[in-house]
Amino acid sequence: MANQGENNTKLGIFVMAGLFVLILTFFMIGKNKSLFGGDFVLKARFSNLNGLMEGNNVLYAGIQAGTVKNIALINDTTIEVTLAINSKVKAYIHKNALVAIGTEGLMGNKVVNIIQVKGTAVNVANGDLLSPQKTVSTEEMLQTLSKTNNNLAVISEGLKGTITRINSSTLMEVIDNKEMGENLKASLRNINKATEDASHITYGLNTLVTGIKQGKGSLGLLLTDTAFAGNLRQAGMKIRSASEQTSALTKQLNEVVDGVHQDLAYGKGPLQVLLRDSAAGSNLNKTIENLQKGTDGFNQNMEALKHNFLFKGYFKKADKKKAQLH
Amino acid sequence: MTTLTARIRAFFDETGNLSRFAGHFFSLGIKPRYEFRELLAQCYQIGYKSFPLVGLTGFIMGLVLTMQLRPSLVSYGVESQLPVMVGIAIVREIGPVITALIFAGKIASSIGAELGSMKVTEQIDAMDVSGTNPFKYLVATRVLACTLMLPMLTLLGDAISLFGAYIGVNIRSVTSFNLFFTQIYQSLSFGDVLPAFIKTFFFGFAVGIVGCYKGFNSSKGTRGVGISANSAVVLSSVLIFVIDLLVVQLTDVLGLN
Amino acid sequence: MKIPTGKTGTPMGEPAIVIEHLYKQFGNNIVLNDFNLTLQKEENMVVLGKSGAGKSVLIKCIIGLLRPDKGKIIVGADDVTKLTHEELDRVRSKMGFLFQGNALYDSMTVRENLEFPLRRHWIDVTQKQVDDMVAEVLENVGLAQTADLMPAELSGGMQKRIALARTMILKPEIILYDEPTTGLDPVTAREIDKLILSLQEKYHTSSIIISHDMNCVKTTADRVILLLDGKCYAEGTYQELEQSADENIKQFFE
Repeated sequence: MANQGENNTKLGIFVMAGLFVLILTFFMIGKNKSLFGGDFVLKARFSNLNGLMEGNNVLYAGIQAGTVKNIALINDTTIEVTLAINSKVKAYIHKNALVAIGTEGLMGNKVVNIIQVKGTAVNVANGDLLSPQKTVSTEEMLQTLSKTNNNLAVISEGLKGTITRINSSTLMEVIDNKEMGENLKASLRNINKATEDASHITYGLNTLVTGIKQGKGSLGLLLTDTAFAGNLRQAGMKIRSASEQTSALTKQLNEVVDGVHQDLAYGKGPLQVLLRDSAAGSNLNKTIENLQKGTDGFNQNMEALKHNFLFKGYFKKADKKKAQLH
Repeated sequence: MTTLTARIRAFFDETGNLSRFAGHFFSLGIKPRYEFRELLAQCYQIGYKSFPLVGLTGFIMGLVLTMQLRPSLVSYGVESQLPVMVGIAIVREIGPVITALIFAGKIASSIGAELGSMKVTEQIDAMDVSGTNPFKYLVATRVLACTLMLPMLTLLGDAISLFGAYIGVNIRSVTSFNLFFTQIYQSLSFGDVLPAFIKTFFFGFAVGIVGCYKGFNSSKGTRGVGISANSAVVLSSVLIFVIDLLVVQLTDVLGLN
Repeated sequence: MKIPTGKTGTPMGEPAIVIEHLYKQFGNNIVLNDFNLTLQKEENMVVLGKSGAGKSVLIKCIIGLLRPDKGKIIVGADDVTKLTHEELDRVRSKMGFLFQGNALYDSMTVRENLEFPLRRHWIDVTQKQVDDMVAEVLENVGLAQTADLMPAELSGGMQKRIALARTMILKPEIILYDEPTTGLDPVTAREIDKLILSLQEKYHTSSIIISHDMNCVKTTADRVILLLDGKCYAEGTYQELEQSADENIKQFFE
C-alpha cells in the first residue's frame, strides 16, 4: 500500500502539471484579451466597422492596449464600439486621440488603432468618447485604386501618343536644352529671313518676267516661253507654302516647348525622363544642323542666282530700286 | 435480407444497450458509496501511465506538422505566421483528437480486455459476491478516471506538441521561445481553447464507457476478450470523431469560433 | 419424480437455506423448473448433475448473482429474491462463494485479494484486525508465505486454496462451492476435499457443493442431490445413491 501512496503523489504531480498548463493558458489569453484586467473603457462611434468583432485587439501607437469589449448599434448609421483599455496604457491616451479601424497585416484581423494627435489635451477618463479618424477601408482603397488605374491607362495612352509625336518630330533636345532652343530660334529666324529674301527674289523675278514678257532685255524672245515662266511661278509658290508651313511648325513648336517647360516646372512625370534621352537629343541636334546647312545652301543658291549672268541685270535693277527706296 | 435486418437490429440493440449502460453510470455512479481509492488508482493507471505515450506522440506531431506546413506558408510569404497556424491547429483540433485517439488505442483496449477477462474468469461476479457493486467499483471509477484524465493528458500533450512545433520552427529558421509563445497566445482566444478543452471530457467519457461496456459484456472465452478489446478501440475511435463533429457544429452555432 | 431413498437429510433443527418452487429460464431453455431444497445448518450437501443441468445457475440464484423468474430462496430470515442491492450485500456477507475458476483478482496480490472482501463488507476494521485475519486464513490453507505474490505466480492448487481462503475470510455461515476440484490433479483435489471438510468442522458452516468428481462427493457429502430436468431428481447419502438401480443415477457412479 506504500506503493499506492507513491502512485498518488505521481498522479498529483501529473494533475497539477495539467492544471498549471490550463491556468497558464487561460491567464495568458486573459491577459491579452483584458479579461482579467481593469474595467477602464473608452468608446468610439463609427459608421462602418468593416468586420471588427468583439475581442479584436486595440493598439495604441502600435502597442497592445486592450480589446474590443462590446459593439452596439445606436442607430442605422452609427455603431458604438466599447474598448477595454489596459491600465498601463490608459495614462498615455489623451482626449484628442483619434480612433481608426485598421487591419493586422495585409489580410489579418481587424484592429482598433488609437492614434495620438499633437497638441495638448487632458488624459482620458473612463467611458470617454474618442472621435474617429476618417480612414479608408481596403475595399474603398481597391475601388479608388481601380479608378486610378483606369485614369492612368488613359493618361499613359495619351502620353504614348504625345511621346511618339515628339519622337517623330525629333525635337526632344530642343525641349531639354535651352541653348538648342535658342539655336532653333536662331535657325527659325534665319529661315524667316531666307524666306523673306526668297519672296523678294520672287517679286524681282516676277518683275523681270513681266519685263521679259513685254520684250525687254536681249533674251526676251527666248524667255517668252510660257512653260518656263509657269515653272518659275510654281517654284515660287512652293517656296511660299514652305515658308508658311515653317511658320506654322514654329508656332506648334513654341506651344510644345511652352507645355514641356510647364511640365518640367510643375510636374514630375515620366516625361522628364523621356525628355532627357540624349540619343534623341543628338538626333535633334543633327536635324537642326542639317536644317541650318539647308538654309545656308539656299542662301548660297540665291547668291549664285544673283551672280548668274541671266539674272545679273535684274538683281542690279532690284538693288537700285532698293537703294532708291532707302 | 434477413441478415441485413438482423444486422440493423443488432446495431440498434447495441446502441440501446450502450446508452443504457451510460445511463447506469449516471444513475448508479452518482450514488454512494464512492470508490475514491479505486478512482485514484485508475487515474494513476489511465492518466499518469499514458503520459509518456501521449507526450511522445504529441511532440512528434507538433514537430512534423510544423515541418509539413512550412513550405506552403513560405510559398505564400507568410512564414512568420507558422507558429500561429500550428498553434491554432494543435490547440483547436489536432491536439485533442490525436491525443484522444492514442488514448482510445491504449485505454479502451486495456479496459475492454481487463474487464472482459474479469468477466470471463468470474472476477466480476466475485466482486459482486464480496459486497462490491462491480459497476461502481470497476465501471464508474474507470469512466470517471478517463473523463478526468484525458483533458489533463490533452493539456500536457498540447504543451509538448507546441514545444515540438517550436523545435520544428527552429530547424529551418530561428525564433525565440518568447516570441513563439507570444505569437501563439496572441492568436488564441477563449473560443479556441474552451470548446477544445471541454470536448476532451466527452472524448474521455466515450473511451471509458465504450471500453467498460465492451469488457462488461464480453462473451465467454479468450476470443471474446480479444473481440471486446478490439471493438472497444474501434467504437471509441469512431465516437471520438462523431463527438468532434458535433462539437464543431455546436461551437459554430454558439458563435464561439 | 422423486425417488425415495430412505432418510432425507440430517435432522439438525432449523434450516440454513430453504428453496421453494424455483423457476429459471434462459430464452426457451428451462433450467430450473419448480425446484425445492432445504439445507440444514452445518450440513454439507452435494448437488450432482450433468453439464448445463442448472447446478451453477442454482447456486448463483442463491447468492443473488442471478434473479430467478419465480420462487423463494430463504437464507436465514430473508428472501434473497426480493432484496435490494444493499440488503443483498448484508446477506452475502454471511455467505461465501468459491468460483469454479477461482476468480482471484489478477491485478492484486494474494494479500489484497484476501483483504478485498474484508474491506468491502466491514468498513470499520483496523489494519491490525485485517492483518490478523489474513494471517489466520492463510494459515488455514497452509500458504502463509505467499501473501505478497500475485495470483498468476501460484499453481492451480495454490490458487484454489487462496480462493478458498478468500471465501473463508469473512467466516461465512454458508459456503457455496462451484466445482471445487475441477481442473486439479487427483492428489491436489484430495487436499482440497480435506481442506473443505476441516474448514467446515472448524467454522461450523453449511455448504452446497457442486461437483462431478465422485471422490469429492464421497469425501465431503453429508447428503447428495441429483439435479435433472430442473428438478430435484434424487436425494440421499452417497451410499444410498450409489446403490440405486435408477439409470439416471447409476451413470454418475460408473
